[in-house]
Amino acid sequence: MARALRSPALWIALVLLLLAVSLPWWVSAYILGVLTVSYYFGVFAMAWDLLFGFANEVNFGPTFLIGLGAYTAGILDNTLGPPIFVCVAAGALVAMIGGVLLALPALRLRGPYFGLVTLVAVLLLQNAIVIFASVTGGEIGMNVNDILSVNAVTNYWIALVFIAVCGALLFGLSRSAVGLILQASGQDAIEAAALGFNVTKHKLAAFCVSALFSGLAGAMLVFYEGTASVGTVIDIAIAVQIIIAAVLGGRRTILGPAIGAIILVLAGEELRQLGQLNTFVVSAVALAVILFFPDGLLGHLLRRGERG
Amino acid sequence: MSQGLLEVAGLHKRFGGLVAVKDIGFTIAPGEILGLIGPNGSGKSTVMKLIMGIERPNAGSVRVGGQEVAGWPTHRIARAGIGIVFQHSRPLHRQTVLENIKLAMLPDSLLRLAASSHIEARAREIADLVGLSEVLYRHPPTLPFADLRRMELAKAIARDPKVVLVDEPFAGLTAAEVRAFSDLIAGFRAQGRAVLLVDHNVKGVTALVDRVLAMYLGERVAEGSAAEVMANETVRRVYLGGKIETHARPELDARPGRPLLDVRGVSVLYGKAQALQDVSLHVREQEFVSVVGLNGAGKTTLFNAICGLVPYFGNIAWDGQELRGRKAATIARGGIVQCPETRELFGDMSVRENLELGGQHLTAAERRSQFDWLYALFPILPARARQAARTLSGGEQQMLAIARALMMKPRLLVLDEPTLGLAPVILEQLSKALSELRRTTPITVLLGEQNVTFALPHADRVYVLEHAQIVWEGDPARFAEEAGAGYL
Amino acid sequence: MLALQILIDGFAISALYGLGAVGFTLLFGVSGVLNLAHGGIMVIAALIGWQAAGGLGLGTWLGSAVGVLAALVASYATYFVVVRPIQRSRAIPREETEIFVLTGTLLWGIMIQVGMAYFYSDNPVTMRPLIDGVTNIAGVRTPTNEILIAVISWVAIGLLWLLVNRTRAGKALLAASINPRGLVLLGFELDRIYLMVWTIYGVLAGIAGVLLASFLGVGTSNIGNLTASAFSIVVMGGLGSVSGSLVAAYVVGYLETFTAYEIAPTLRPIPALILLVLVVYLRPQGLLGRR
Repeated sequence: MARALRSPALWIALVLLLLAVSLPWWVSAYILGVLTVSYYFGVFAMAWDLLFGFANEVNFGPTFLIGLGAYTAGILDNTLGPPIFVCVAAGALVAMIGGVLLALPALRLRGPYFGLVTLVAVLLLQNAIVIFASVTGGEIGMNVNDILSVNAVTNYWIALVFIAVCGALLFGLSRSAVGLILQASGQDAIEAAALGFNVTKHKLAAFCVSALFSGLAGAMLVFYEGTASVGTVIDIAIAVQIIIAAVLGGRRTILGPAIGAIILVLAGEELRQLGQLNTFVVSAVALAVILFFPDGLLGHLLRRGERG
Repeated sequence: MSQGLLEVAGLHKRFGGLVAVKDIGFTIAPGEILGLIGPNGSGKSTVMKLIMGIERPNAGSVRVGGQEVAGWPTHRIARAGIGIVFQHSRPLHRQTVLENIKLAMLPDSLLRLAASSHIEARAREIADLVGLSEVLYRHPPTLPFADLRRMELAKAIARDPKVVLVDEPFAGLTAAEVRAFSDLIAGFRAQGRAVLLVDHNVKGVTALVDRVLAMYLGERVAEGSAAEVMANETVRRVYLGGKIETHARPELDARPGRPLLDVRGVSVLYGKAQALQDVSLHVREQEFVSVVGLNGAGKTTLFNAICGLVPYFGNIAWDGQELRGRKAATIARGGIVQCPETRELFGDMSVRENLELGGQHLTAAERRSQFDWLYALFPILPARARQAARTLSGGEQQMLAIARALMMKPRLLVLDEPTLGLAPVILEQLSKALSELRRTTPITVLLGEQNVTFALPHADRVYVLEHAQIVWEGDPARFAEEAGAGYL
Repeated sequence: MLALQILIDGFAISALYGLGAVGFTLLFGVSGVLNLAHGGIMVIAALIGWQAAGGLGLGTWLGSAVGVLAALVASYATYFVVVRPIQRSRAIPREETEIFVLTGTLLWGIMIQVGMAYFYSDNPVTMRPLIDGVTNIAGVRTPTNEILIAVISWVAIGLLWLLVNRTRAGKALLAASINPRGLVLLGFELDRIYLMVWTIYGVLAGIAGVLLASFLGVGTSNIGNLTASAFSIVVMGGLGSVSGSLVAAYVVGYLETFTAYEIAPTLRPIPALILLVLVVYLRPQGLLGRR
């Protein structure tokens, strides 16, 4: 525990958090709005990093889990109308079930095969949404009746608290005893087994936790934006953004991906003026990051102590 | 019931058509060290994996303290009280040494967020015991080879197992380090644990073990005290072979001019391990040179350096020209063709197709004449021409691999452990083919072998490679007198 | 009547799917790369071919050839700009190379999609048929173009089979998919072999792209689905198995055609996806998978 407190990543994150807390006093509502979305993306990215960075499973379809959470919450709200937190909880639960379904083939397939399977999952969800358009709103998307708040500042606080809590939980998990076992399971499954750890059980748990946070954040996003659509929570482009955010920020640091996501969303907003080409530029930059800078920002800073 | 007793009986394992372990059984009492020895391919590593559950046995029983564990998943076997020290270190690269050791003491729980307080203290204690207290907060990629091995021992100690499986613990260590490690392993015995020590060299473990079981080709060939096993007829034949005949042509090395292959002061590092240290040898045109050494000595590394497959320090000259910087495929086309230990055949393609690929760079006429010659040299090949290489027996595959290398009309044929895992009768056939080759063609051969009976009859000169260094060189006849005795 | 129509249409679309999938799986088998920019390369062929045929007035046949050439260029670009640098990068640890290549090709595919949409908009384009007219097969009126497309697809696949099984260069390709290290020991330059496989891949994807433009019409909005159906088929057939891909292509092609005709056109992709899920759970290595 003491060592976790000495982690430079944590201090950087705390400094940024303080900065973020101060923002509503001197930044416009428009920027607060962009940041709000970026915080939810930050949770998407952190949940992805837990799975990839620790359990060593590449999920090309985090949006499968996010979409499950988002649509479950939205549909529940539109049909039965329970309070928001019930819908969000339901979304998280369904996402966790999705996580287990995804985990089963994962445990039997190697890396790139499993990556393909996750892509297939996204496709399936996308098609299911389109087919059951009467309930889901199909390709156009659906509106939800309730939203968290109409006030931009209130929404900002909710999102900030959400990312701070999720970040603390996920980071704490990564530094805990269980996190250590998970890292061992991901890095060297045979050695982990020889040390007495049930790798399957731990990887399954990692999937569930990653799914829980993804679904939770997805559901929250729906109640922030008031809408859910394929384009905002399921599309492959979203999945790619999440992966890029994690790579940019630094894989296996938990906090790095959160920072990467915020930077990415802000940059995407800036580039919006380019219209269509903004995706092109982001993808090109992402490709450049992969080619020249694969350790990412935080990764680069932290790794120097580890190299031989 | 005696605790910590390891009882293995009737252990059997086949991989497809290959029987790797046949009816192996033994018992280790608490406070006893059993040495399981055998050459590479004898099945001893497989036995270890079967006990640990990394491979599932086809038949047989493994009992720990009376509890049957055969067929259990690895982690359950580990929790039942068996610990393993792998031959190749398996550290978690992104964790510190202390974290690596602490991991070994954690229970298999999903809910535990913090390790119990005593774990930290115990981890430090263990690190102190093995000699790692200076590097507790460093990461494995920054550590020297011996420290990584110490960490493996530390993990095993941390698990507090009833039975410890130790796989080739002394490979790559200096004499002083070997003594330190021996003490630690002896410590296991003193603590009343049962220890299975697997190694390919009886000599190295004699002082440490109480009893020895020798394996060859998956079967038990001898059991008893170290001295008894070393004196055993079959064991000596397997390691040293029977009577050694030599047919050296010393005049070949006496000729003037530069050698065809000149290796000078070559060293190779694999990460932290010194695989080759300042090795020098030379091969003259038409010579047949044997490099004798047990596995792990560095033969494969040497050959890979010559063939451009691993980076090295030092000089390797081929026909006067420096080979450094040339790509592996270029070196192969330049006349040095390796037939590696793993053979690297194209399993799904037929025998004929494998050979044709070897003859890619020849003209059609040359190819035809090569085929005729090789089919005569290895009569088994035309009989199996259309069969997939994968379906051939071990010996047939070896002959195919050699034939395919010969298709390239090499000036130097590098043969790495062709006798690996082959039955004696096949070795005869192979030996005959090599004699034929040596007699009828001007080919130059560099052979790496641990089977001295096979390596000596064809050799003009012999080098002995031990622990990454050349320790002896000279005439094959003198080898039997001078070096052979200490070999086993 | 309807059954025959399904039989014929299904055959043609399956042949086209097969062509696309075979290139994808060959690339994976030999070089280990799962190219997620696959759809993008096919659509480059279609759009450039369409432009060359119509806008530049070269006519359908010559335009198609230009389209195939464009796909070849795109294929090389994918290899030299994206895949090879990642494979050679020393900053990426060995075990993660495959995953980074996958991500890299995914990004490249997105770049192609957005880039092409910028120049051509995302409306689908249709190339004029290679052959006009209608053929009557046992009472079913089928555009002759459709038959020609099926024939061309199979000829291309047949030529590929001949190349791999009967020529020496092709056998080297096959050997590379089994054991690349073995080839190095025999003096083969792996770089040349990889170049060969990307060349073959580019040509196959290009042909599939222009034929698709001629048959059904295609645009940048189809890129995602094209890549998805290619890897669905390849996963079902078994990654690395060319014959497996062909069989799976026919299964998928007929399932889709049957669904479109008998159930509802909008539900077209569903049965194949369900089948994919079953395969992934019950037999993840696919029908005839090796690796």
